[in-house]
Amino acid sequence: MELPGYYEYYCGVKIIAGHDALERIPGILQDLHARRPMIVTDKGVAGAGLVDIVLGAVKDQLTIGAVADDVPPDSDLRVVNRLAALYREQDCDALIAVGGGSVMDTAKGINIVVSERADDLMKFSGAGALKRPLKPLVAVPTTAGTGSEVTLVAVVKDHERHLKMAFVSYFLLPNASILDSRMTLSLPAAITAATGMDALTHAVEAYYGLSKNPLSDATALAAIRLISGNLVKVTRNPSDREARLAMANAAALAGMAFSNSMVGMVHTLGHATGSVCGVPHGVCMAILLPYGLEYNRHKREAVMGELLFPMGGSDVFAGTTKEQRTDRVIAYVRQMNQDLHDASGGRHARFFKEVLDREGKPAVPRERLLDIARTALGDGSIFYNPEDLDYDDFLMVLEAAWEGVALDPGCIRT
Amino acid sequence: MNEYKEIQSGSKPFKRAYVALMLWFVGRAIEAAARVDAAVKAEFDGLSPGFTFSLGVMPQGPTMIVGKDDQGLVRYRGWDPEGQKIDLKMKVKNLEGAILMFTFQESTAMASARNRLIVDGEVPAACAIVRVLDIVEVYLLPKLIAKLAVKRYPDWSFGEKIRNRIRIYGGAIFGL
Ligand SMILES: [Fe+2]
Repeated sequence: MELPGYYEYYCGVKIIAGHDALERIPGILQDLHARRPMIVTDKGVAGAGLVDIVLGAVKDQLTIGAVADDVPPDSDLRVVNRLAALYREQDCDALIAVGGGSVMDTAKGINIVVSERADDLMKFSGAGALKRPLKPLVAVPTTAGTGSEVTLVAVVKDHERHLKMAFVSYFLLPNASILDSRMTLSLPAAITAATGMDALTHAVEAYYGLSKNPLSDATALAAIRLISGNLVKVTRNPSDREARLAMANAAALAGMAFSNSMVGMVHTLGHATGSVCGVPHGVCMAILLPYGLEYNRHKREAVMGELLFPMGGSDVFAGTTKEQRTDRVIAYVRQMNQDLHDASGGRHARFFKEVLDREGKPAVPRERLLDIARTALGDGSIFYNPEDLDYDDFLMVLEAAWEGVALDPGCIRT
Repeated sequence: MNEYKEIQSGSKPFKRAYVALMLWFVGRAIEAAARVDAAVKAEFDGLSPGFTFSLGVMPQGPTMIVGKDDQGLVRYRGWDPEGQKIDLKMKVKNLEGAILMFTFQESTAMASARNRLIVDGEVPAACAIVRVLDIVEVYLLPKLIAKLAVKRYPDWSFGEKIRNRIRIYGGAIFGL
């Protein structure tokens, strides 16, 4: 195992995982000297009855100051400021975020405003701007994928000024994250599949990326093993509680891996495709992950081959020669996409040309690939990718991912 | 009675001087490369008017500043951030990290992967500046060393590389 000459690792989030983990929230808040939390969530989560489950688990021991259930999918500074005012009005002293990435980011934004009494959130953007702990934050993820329940980043948009502010601080880590199978039980098959592939991408990119280290390796491998054993299974049978809990664990483990080792070109291109064409993040990850492996292969062959162990199990690993392992890993990821496609009744997309928008039209027209490649040049995740990519390289990968064909090894410049 | 010694921070004058010299040199080389190399020029053209960035060592320097002037030309702006509007600050966390970078034992990519760099500013601009630094390193360093400093050594034509290299060295050393 290769040991980096230097690395840093931190994950200061208490994890509570189980089929009845929500019931621990009152005790956790008590330890943090909080007695009146505000719940932050969105209409979809509330409509699925998940807030009622949380309330049912905590309300005999805890007073809830306010339930803000109207965080929009495209949350921004206005929402953050409005909900921060509600928090103050209702005399709250902690936050419980129930939802996916947008809810988590909004709750982190509210936390900065109420803790720092900030009238301008902008003052606290960038690294190192937050100097002291914020109010207690408990994260209850309702998808198993983003890993934002264990990450130190928050992104808040300012639609009026057309800005996207990134906040990075250890103080943004939730105090505790609750992984409860009840929170993901009603997730539709296609979203289960896509978000699960996002988690797999976090673990795989962290494992072969430039910042890999023994601690991120350990969490990445554990995540991959759980995902390999459970993602297709739970997409076929969404009410499988054990598999749901396994995926929630996997997403948190993968989140720990990538928040310390960062991600690479799969995310670079995924962020760009998301911002140009509005394709959901997990869908981009599922489609692009095989290409991240193919493109970086010449730099990371041995490390990638090790992934066959958590993916295929010990027998497959032992029965495959070293030279063939990376081929098997890439084939395994493609097969997983195919299995998820079948298990979701064809809704899980395998390549960009089959991704449809809400009206059923192609979401990624081929001519937009040029814009996506240009946008990718400005994404910081590329720093951590083993091999370099310029505009032409991005475009070549995008074209293959659009068509759904393997990269031509002769076209990868080394 | 015991005597408890106080240790003041901020010594290592030789390492500091070496890094300061390298920063001065790289700063002037960037100015020259923006005139000579089309890709470097294109990267700067893509940045906002008057864009200025600094590259330095924490906590108290050395630092170098490069920015675009009113005509859009790229200029080395010295070492003193006082009174300059800086859009992007790139800081190496400590002197030892800077020594690793500037003795080319560790690439820019590896330094950021190892968390040695702090970037304060817009990410797309930081990406552009890292690409510029990579190109300048390829010009300044012999191939054997540059291959360690950048992820992928470019396949430029030999003649053009040598011609540009001479002009960039001339610009950096003599201000030609
Ligand atoms: Fe992701």
